[in-house]
Amino acid sequence: MYAFDIERPTTIADAVAALGAEDAQALGGGQTLIPTLKQRLAMPSKLVSLTAIPELKGVCVADDGALCIGGGTTHATVAAQAAAHYPALAALAGGIGDPAVRNRGTIGGSLANNDPAACYPAAALASGATIVTNARQMAADDYFQGLFTTALDEGEIITEVRFPVPDRAAYMKFQQPASRFALTGVFVAKYADGVRVAVTGASEGGVFRWTEAEAALSADFSADAVAGLSVSSNGMMGDVHGTPDYRAHLVKVMTKRAVAAA
Amino acid sequence: MSVTKPLPHDSGPLHVTGQARYVDDIPTPANCLHLAFGTSSIARGTVTAMDLDPVRTAPGVVAVLTADDLPFANDVSPSIHDEPLLSVGTVHYVGQPIFVVAATSHHAARRAAAKARITYAEEAPILTVDQAVAAGQYFDDGPRVWQKGDTDAALAAAPHRLRGRLEMGGQEHFYLESHASMVAPQEGGDVVVYSSTQHPTEIQHKVAEALGVPMNAVRVEARRMGGGFGGKESQGNALACACAVIAVKTGRPVKMRYDRDDDMTITGKRHDFRIDYDVGFDDTGRIKGIDFQQYTRGGWALDLTIPVADRAMLHADNAYLLDHARITSHRLRTNTQSATAYRGFGGPQGIFGIERVMDHIAHTLGLDPIAVRQVNYYHNMGPVRAGKVSGNTTPYGMEVRDFILDEMTEKLLADANYADRKAAIADWNAKNPILKRGIGFSPVKFGISFTLTHLNQAGALVHVYQDGSIHLNHGGTEMGQGLFQKVAQVAASRFGVDVSLVKITATDTGKVPNTSATAASSGSDLNGMAAKAACDTIRDRMANCLAELHQCPVERVRFEDGKVRVGDNEMTFEQAAATCYQNRVSLSATGFYKTPDLSWDRAKGQGRPFFYFSHGAALTEVVIDTLTGENRILRTDIIHDVGRSLNPALDKGQVEGAFVQGAGWLTTEELVWDDKGRLRTHAPSTYKIPACSDRPEVFNVELWDGENPEATIYRSKAVGEPPFNLGMSAFFALSDAAAACGPNYPMLDAPATAERVLQAVKRARG
Ligand SMILES: Cc1cc2nc3c(=O)[nH]c(=O)nc-3n(C[C@H](O)[C@H](O)[C@H](O)COP(=O)(O)OP(=O)(O)OC[C@H]3O[C@@H](n4cnc5c(N)ncnc54)[C@H](O)[C@@H]3O)c2cc1C
Repeated sequence: MYAFDIERPTTIADAVAALGAEDAQALGGGQTLIPTLKQRLAMPSKLVSLTAIPELKGVCVADDGALCIGGGTTHATVAAQAAAHYPALAALAGGIGDPAVRNRGTIGGSLANNDPAACYPAAALASGATIVTNARQMAADDYFQGLFTTALDEGEIITEVRFPVPDRAAYMKFQQPASRFALTGVFVAKYADGVRVAVTGASEGGVFRWTEAEAALSADFSADAVAGLSVSSNGMMGDVHGTPDYRAHLVKVMTKRAVAAA
Repeated sequence: MSVTKPLPHDSGPLHVTGQARYVDDIPTPANCLHLAFGTSSIARGTVTAMDLDPVRTAPGVVAVLTADDLPFANDVSPSIHDEPLLSVGTVHYVGQPIFVVAATSHHAARRAAAKARITYAEEAPILTVDQAVAAGQYFDDGPRVWQKGDTDAALAAAPHRLRGRLEMGGQEHFYLESHASMVAPQEGGDVVVYSSTQHPTEIQHKVAEALGVPMNAVRVEARRMGGGFGGKESQGNALACACAVIAVKTGRPVKMRYDRDDDMTITGKRHDFRIDYDVGFDDTGRIKGIDFQQYTRGGWALDLTIPVADRAMLHADNAYLLDHARITSHRLRTNTQSATAYRGFGGPQGIFGIERVMDHIAHTLGLDPIAVRQVNYYHNMGPVRAGKVSGNTTPYGMEVRDFILDEMTEKLLADANYADRKAAIADWNAKNPILKRGIGFSPVKFGISFTLTHLNQAGALVHVYQDGSIHLNHGGTEMGQGLFQKVAQVAASRFGVDVSLVKITATDTGKVPNTSATAASSGSDLNGMAAKAACDTIRDRMANCLAELHQCPVERVRFEDGKVRVGDNEMTFEQAAATCYQNRVSLSATGFYKTPDLSWDRAKGQGRPFFYFSHGAALTEVVIDTLTGENRILRTDIIHDVGRSLNPALDKGQVEGAFVQGAGWLTTEELVWDDKGRLRTHAPSTYKIPACSDRPEVFNVELWDGENPEATIYRSKAVGEPPFNLGMSAFFALSDAAAACGPNYPMLDAPATAERVLQAVKRARG
């Protein structure tokens, strides 16, 4: 690690102000950022910890029925508190990493990081979630912009994520056996106005919507509905854990499983 | 008698309370320095410039050494002096140590090491089998060929013939305790070395060479390792030598431990193999002739590649009588970590080759794979007929006199209900289009002894104190396997006392010299016998003294139940010891053992390299998901032969652990190097070893009720390596499940990751 200063503000406003300093960076649970610093892949001058800000924490239901999760809420809290409202989302949170990761890592950190193998981006995109920051609100469709890239501006903080609750939903993750990240994960969510299918872990472009499957499932919400579809391995990731062909294959299998489980 | 009792591991309470001391737990002496290596970032080339100033000026740095700064030998090889401790300008793999930093803390040393600026003239690395063969990069002067009979004629005449190729990956040892050494400098240039090593004498030898002192100036102590698995047979030399050189140079104690990533990047692993086979057989599946081509990547230095590759050849027959066989072994030099010893030492790779052949033949003929194995088994000799029948010889001309797999197989199949379950699996598969079950069998016959005959020796040192307590020392090392407890049980039995009277002490080159590595599963065979000899010497001296005092024949002195009976008199062992002391009897003795009846001509590939064989058989059932290749082990049944067990609890533990580790090798554990020769799987986040939840849900392990026909310690048999091979049953079960999907043989390779299983399903379907 390179040397840095650290601040621990107690309000969003103070955090935003602190992040105004040159090369300052937000610190959520540190489950991604701390290892990155240890490998000297980042050199912030100042870390602004978001862990002491009560406004950023917690799970509640809005008047329109959407499930609202504070940007600093840990995976473990979501797993416990979202279960009654949005079981598929709670299950996703409960399947991230291990207990240590779940008790430190936050939804805001996960979405800000937008790791191509992360779970939350699939949930946000498939739910048509709204990403709320200190400055604005963004539709998930506009928010994710490729590997580790999002629409967030410098110093912008995710304060809340609003998930419209679907009629039925499920997340199916094919775990990379060593790290348990998604080798390929598919989140399927069925709403009154149609079905959304988001795929993580598979594409070189990061999380994406599988629109053919959405159309097919909107017409007929059954695993058989996607049987005739195929996913091209073009643009799929190939790495030590799986080939592009394998990932393309898994997209369909995981989609069918998610539909069956929803 | 304490032998044969299922006593717990002597250190169990210490392990679980954190009191068990490993090298890194030894309280660090004041002023201790800590080391880190600066390593090569390229796989092959020459160092053209090296700027170490930023390293020298980093906080806490006390010394930085390159090859030029080493006082004497720059070599940590256990074999032919081809492994410099620090690079001499050429680099041969990513991770090769180039310089060493000594600093005031472990982290200061690691941080400083990262600051070096090294430039290289890079050359294209040789990474694969094909590249190495094309470049003629052979160890051992080219391929080695051993044969029996006339293989070409037998192949030509056989009614059926098959050719195939099996690829199998290597394996990271993943001992929980990574490598560690600490050296305390002594007066006059001597050193004491604490090392996490399976081979203290080798550490002593290499440290003496590095310091330019005789071996008597170096004492090595090793209380225990947190796992070794062969990875600590030769790979600890670098740490110990680096610590010793800097300890003598600075006069300060020095410690070095590898971080997990460093350990995985720097140290050697199990040899991966490619095996090509060409086999001729009859309608029953009986092999008429077989030709094996074994290719292995030995990495950049010779290390133990020759005996590993030899053992792969020596196990190419596994349990099967081959009349005509030719085994060709290609030992290749590649720009990767120097592949090294790993539980089984090449044996599993050789065995895996012929087990695949058995499976392939069975599939081709539509026969039960177990039946094909049974028609090929060696003849059952039984101990009584030992040595009476000829024609039951291995491809290297050794008569198999103790084969017992017929009975073991029958018992296993009956106990595990094979016939019914096989039928039930077929039914289940017919009804389930997506999940498929499979059942797989694998037997093992494993040769016990070091193939380098002179290594088959051991020593022990035993003291009886005047209060009757016993101090036991021998040349074997404890790596969690329970060796110390087994040998303590032997000592306790010789004196007829409870094992609690025996103090187990750290392996120490100052107490027992010239030891062999604790390897080749031979720990209790060799050290148990040496300890027995030492105990018997003391016991006989005591008996003579007591017999004379009590005017009774020496035959009437008995040591049993914690008592010494002298004729009609009885005393405690404690009283006997005190009496002998007062009568000026020496109560300290060394013991020595060398394995009898070995002869081996390596050049010809002929002889009797093994004292005896250990056997085992396993049956495993799995289920696969044909959509993804995901799989689970559902049930495993094992019968394993450890002769007359010295300690059934420890032996069962070894069998269970070996199975899980063997199954891990062939399923989830995958080492991946990129095209630059960088190991991409160098941490638990990318390299998957089996966890507790990966063991079979139903796991029945039974020890075969028998005894070693050879006169081993209490007629027991070695246990460390042979059961590792039983993990193959899981692999063949996966292959069987894939085969249930279509008409073709699935040609599954290892490790059978989910993706490979899925590909096998596709091949089966055609
Ligand atoms: C062993 C292990 C296994 C894991 N397995 C999984 C898995 O299976 N699935 C999965 O999805 N993830 C997994 N993760 C990642 C985990 O979910 C992380 O917690 C998450 O990606 C980052 O969250 P964090 O709060 O720790 O963020 P940090 O590491 O603190 O920060 C990450 C990035 O987000 C920024 N940031 C943090 N909070 C905010 C905010 N509120 N607003 C704006 N920017 C912010 C930081 O500046 C930084 O750039 C795993 C991690 C580990 C270590």
